[in-house]
Amino acid sequence: MLIFSAVSAGYGGVPVLKDISFSVADGEAVAIFGHNGAGKTTLMRCAVGDVAEMTGTVSYRGDAIVPGAVFRNTRRGIGFVPQGHNVFRELSVRQNLTISGLHHPESKVEDIYKLFPILLERGGQAAGSLSGGQQQILALGMALMTKPTILLLDEPSTGLAPIIVRDVMASLTKINRETGTTVVIVEQNIPATLAIVSRAIVVKSGRVVFDGPSKELERKEDLWGLF
Amino acid sequence: MDYLVTIAVLIAIYTILATSYNLVIGYGGLSTVAHPIFFAIGAYTTGLLAVHVPFIPPLGNVVLGMAAAVVASVLLAGSALRVSGDYLLIASLGFQLGLLQLLKNLEFTGGPGGLSAIPSTIVGPMRGPIFLAICGAAALACVFAVRAIVNGPYGRAISAMRDEELAFTALGRNAMSMKIAIFAIGCGMAGGAGGLYAYYFQYLSPDQFDVLASAAILTMVVLGGMGTAFGPVVGAILLLAIPQAITFLQLPPSIMAPTQGIIFTVLVLLFLYLRPSGILGGKA
Repeated sequence: MLIFSAVSAGYGGVPVLKDISFSVADGEAVAIFGHNGAGKTTLMRCAVGDVAEMTGTVSYRGDAIVPGAVFRNTRRGIGFVPQGHNVFRELSVRQNLTISGLHHPESKVEDIYKLFPILLERGGQAAGSLSGGQQQILALGMALMTKPTILLLDEPSTGLAPIIVRDVMASLTKINRETGTTVVIVEQNIPATLAIVSRAIVVKSGRVVFDGPSKELERKEDLWGLF
Repeated sequence: MDYLVTIAVLIAIYTILATSYNLVIGYGGLSTVAHPIFFAIGAYTTGLLAVHVPFIPPLGNVVLGMAAAVVASVLLAGSALRVSGDYLLIASLGFQLGLLQLLKNLEFTGGPGGLSAIPSTIVGPMRGPIFLAICGAAALACVFAVRAIVNGPYGRAISAMRDEELAFTALGRNAMSMKIAIFAIGCGMAGGAGGLYAYYFQYLSPDQFDVLASAAILTMVVLGGMGTAFGPVVGAILLLAIPQAITFLQLPPSIMAPTQGIIFTVLVLLFLYLRPSGILGGKA
């Protein structure tokens, strides 16, 4: 279980998150929505310990997330796909996947190829020369090579064509349902995301203003004005 | 002949410096201007041990010089990189200037007059060629060691860390320890070059390790091709050999010194205009 408990965070003394508390159960698929600057990315970064100015606690499966120790935190089974800049552009697709699984000898690049056949087709191609959608799928594959029990994705559909968004979302559903991996996704694309999650959290100006079933948020379009 | 051998020894030593600097700044993406001071740490450690502790064999002194440079580099990088990568540049400048002042003011380092009377390990008419063979072999070893590092799995990890640090750490990889390791390897090589320099020239002046030396080494790296294995070799040869070649024209000293400076500057501007990525670099 991922638990945020009274978390406040910011940058250079400017508060971004204010007293945030929520939890995500194992196997859940949760979306986090909010307008630009609401603090969604900061929330994700707090979950891996990438924000130095943080008070309160974040824990995953009983272990506290330590600010400033991203590599240690993610080794606890957290797969984090940051927004953009999430593949190593000069390396080939295969090298990106291999490097991602170096700490997990049980990870097989071929398993990722089975899940995302497009990556097999482009195996020898430099990651920087892939399309935006293919890079996003590669980033997802890289995160899966770390054998995560929870996947944190920061706006994976940014800049993608609708048909590619559908493919990425379908992949996430498949991962969540077939492997039981918890999925937490920060998104701006509300309809596409609501279709694959069971719960939604809305953040406004650094505070949680809605936390409930995705169906409820889907029905109440008046709530969409919050983000 | 001795003069030519000395130039060749200098080229070999600067090849080690440029290659190791290329590992740190070109492959590792770590901004530092303190490379000459690690060269100095190696040189002074080796020189002082050779003078005061005569029972240590020369190779042992050079290795201890390298070790001293490694320890100093770990201390610098470990503290500077903890805050932010950019702090390394500022910290390295402070480290370079501060340590240089120490070398200039401490009595046991010889103060501003430098450290002299470093015993020669090799004597006789073959001294120069033997030193050239040793320095040349050390330079080749450095070039191929760096090439092996950057072309192997660790090199791919270095490239990944340099380009996308957050994505790299998100995969559970420790970027900090990798940066410190790259920095230590590069600075250790510079320390080794310093040890060879101390034994060959038998005299060390603190002025030769100032921050301008950093500019010279950086120019060799950029001119030859940053991020290429053999670029720094080409840069070291060009920037050391060509200005020296004009000494054969036997010009008066009042013309010679400025002419060498002008040739150095023209070479840099010309090559950077024609080959912005360096002579062995890809197209910019």
